Amino acid sequence: MTAVIRTEKLTKSYGSHRGIVDVDLEVDQGEVFGFLGPNGAGKTTTIRVLLDLIRPTSGKAFVFDIESSADPAAIHRRIGYLPGEFALYDRLTGRQTLEYFGNLRGGVDKAYQTELIGRFDLDPSRRFREYSKGNKQKVGLVAALQHRPELLLLDEPTSGLDPLVQQTFFTLLRERVKDGATVFLSSHILSEVERSCDRVAIIREGRLVRVDRVDALRDLAHHQVELRFEGVPPVAEFQKIPGVSDVTVEDHLIRLRVLGPITPVVQAAARLGVTDFLSREPTLEETFLAQYGRETSEATEAAEAAAAEAGEAR
Amino acid sequence: MGAQAGSPTLRAPSVSLFSRIYGFGSVYAKTLRDSRLAFIIAAGVLGGMMLVAGAAVGSVFPTPESRREVDKLIATVPSSMSGLFGNPINVGTLGGVMNWKYGPFFALGAGLWSILALSGTLAGEASRGSLDFVASSPFGKRRLAIEKLTAHLTMVGLAMVVLAVCAWAGATIYGDASLGDAIPPVSAIGFALWVGFIGLAFGGLAFVLAPLLGRSGSAGVAGAAMVAAWVSNGYSALAPVAFFSPFHWTANHVALVGQFDWPSLALVGVVAAVLLVAGVEVFARRDLGVTAGLSAPGLPAATLGVGGPARRAFGDQLPRALAWGVGLGLFGAMLAAMVGSLAGQMASAPSFRDVFTTLFPGYDLTRAGDFLQLYAQMLFIFAGYAGATLVAKWASDETEGRLEMLLGTPLARGRWVVGGGVGAFAAVVIMTAGLALGIGLGAVSGGVEVGGAVTGTAALGLYAAAMVGVGIAVGGFWRTSMAAEVAAIVVTATFLIDLLAPPLRLPDWVHQLALTAHMGKPMIGIWDPAGIVACVVIAVGGVALGAWGIRRRDIG
Repeated sequence: MTAVIRTEKLTKSYGSHRGIVDVDLEVDQGEVFGFLGPNGAGKTTTIRVLLDLIRPTSGKAFVFDIESSADPAAIHRRIGYLPGEFALYDRLTGRQTLEYFGNLRGGVDKAYQTELIGRFDLDPSRRFREYSKGNKQKVGLVAALQHRPELLLLDEPTSGLDPLVQQTFFTLLRERVKDGATVFLSSHILSEVERSCDRVAIIREGRLVRVDRVDALRDLAHHQVELRFEGVPPVAEFQKIPGVSDVTVEDHLIRLRVLGPITPVVQAAARLGVTDFLSREPTLEETFLAQYGRETSEATEAAEAAAAEAGEAR
Repeated sequence: MGAQAGSPTLRAPSVSLFSRIYGFGSVYAKTLRDSRLAFIIAAGVLGGMMLVAGAAVGSVFPTPESRREVDKLIATVPSSMSGLFGNPINVGTLGGVMNWKYGPFFALGAGLWSILALSGTLAGEASRGSLDFVASSPFGKRRLAIEKLTAHLTMVGLAMVVLAVCAWAGATIYGDASLGDAIPPVSAIGFALWVGFIGLAFGGLAFVLAPLLGRSGSAGVAGAAMVAAWVSNGYSALAPVAFFSPFHWTANHVALVGQFDWPSLALVGVVAAVLLVAGVEVFARRDLGVTAGLSAPGLPAATLGVGGPARRAFGDQLPRALAWGVGLGLFGAMLAAMVGSLAGQMASAPSFRDVFTTLFPGYDLTRAGDFLQLYAQMLFIFAGYAGATLVAKWASDETEGRLEMLLGTPLARGRWVVGGGVGAFAAVVIMTAGLALGIGLGAVSGGVEVGGAVTGTAALGLYAAAMVGVGIAVGGFWRTSMAAEVAAIVVTATFLIDLLAPPLRLPDWVHQLALTAHMGKPMIGIWDPAGIVACVVIAVGGVALGAWGIRRRDIG
């Protein structure tokens, strides 16, 4: 499959501040690729390097096999871009704004533009400064979509949109992908990545920590299991099963976490006379938190402990 | 005291010393912090001008004979222009000359500062949206307004202290006590109080209007009122209007020569206080950020320019260009209409003409055209600042976050810069056309040769275009957030060099650094090709440099 986006050891530093470090990424044609990470992880920096808005400190970025800084206009001709934060011309109406961005691309299909305006339920006659945050976002989305780009680079695209419009947006994305377009969607909202993306990359502190299919990331995660027994729960039997951790007991209920295959836990439960069994497949959010949360919570706990100690000392 | 159920007593966390020192301890402290640069500029310009003017006057009129001559001759000043300058009393002394020749400009400068600060301190923050956050803090809107206002008053007070010290020091350093040049502390304080009160009166007007009209509307009205008050006091034909002018009320308060009119000064202070208190009340009672606005007539959709980057840039610049064109046109019309009578009076008072020949060498002020050219030298600074504001508008594509989306299209960086430059140059043409129209209309009644005067305004347009080039070069090559500021600094430096280098007898090469020293006298048909070529090269070269430079740097 052809890679639409490819980066090789892509690094961007802002003086002494970290941007992204050694990012290797490939996004194939026709896929919806989620770029997931907490605020400040380097998502926007990566997109801005791909667009040649900023230049890499080292490494290379290719879009449509064109190096990003070699011929950015050739890349921009084929993409649609929605920045995470943007402002447009206060005095222009929504329609004039869209007309201008259409003209910068040599004109767009007016019928499709009108269709997009209608589907997003946007009133194009109002001046940009009069729009609410959500309506401004709709103008940006139409501007990014109206020329039917081959690649959509969307930075936090659902910011400010109500759930109904979000639904419309994801439907439009699917239609674009069906027509052969590729989508690179940056977000920190896990549920939207989970529901719309084929593959996801997780970036943290400027480095890619994982790139995989959404399903695979789910499999990677733990299972949360609850077991109910009539008598005293046989805790020790479960604690010795490989992959089991975080075992807690509450009356007749055992809660535990299973990493890897769940079959040994199921077999043990059946053997020990379980009366109720509940296993929950983790959401991507839980996967994400499992990936990131541990260090964060450890750090938080350490800080809280230190603060508590200091308080006692006083 | 026991805590009541449901309302637990909370101990307010203390504000750290670091926060207090760094300006994050309160709205007052934060406003002081935000005003640092404005204070440095205002205090530096006012204090510096006082020292420089002291040095200049001391060097131009160093002998008792020259002082006596000046004192005698200034008494013949035509009534029609007595108030455009100050009241000519004891002009043979350093304080007298400074109060007469420069006094109103100190007051106008202080007024401009207060208008910009007080129109923007709340309204500007409201339009940005940050005021909602501040106003949701646990204290009322009234206190918020008072803290903001008090911070500005503190800064004005400090700047006036600097001004008073510089007035006293300038006279001590450069003056000759035997010629009556000494400016005692009470005179320096009296002058600084006058400057500060006049400034605060017009700043107060902006402050009271800001919640109603927004930042630009209130600043525009207050600025127009200030200029009208100054001109009405100076131009005899407008004498009836001068009744409302603080400049007129305080005409007899010539503090630098020891002539005080404290009641009139107190009246200005009371007016300022009333306006400032009213401003606090209006802000406290009105909805936050809801203004009536001063809606200018909308421009036709065709002028908005959505066909391409140059047309869009021009469409964006057009309201600003028209505003400058109308403003400068009106000012130019007034000046051009006035110069005929001024030149006539100058011709009928040879002694007065001699004084002005000393002050403004190279000008035959018995001719209306020369008089207009003299005023055109002042118009250069306005034209330059107009260019700087056009640069600011161009730069706003990047500083306000539009550029990223624009460059996400096939629009190349260099093309964006060139388009912006072309749009700004077209805006300069519009502005210059407005000025030319005004000067042309005024010249008809002012006895000036109309063709020459109208053609001469092209020099002002060329200078503005050059400043656009400077700003775009800085914005393209370095950063857009500094582009307009650098252009404005170049304009200010050029003005000061051109103004002060001759009286300070600085080396000629210093004077030659000022672009405006190479423009000839275009209002009377004398053009200096070197200046024209320099303007064109700076304008076009600046845009080219910006287009080249922006390819090398990160956006945003």
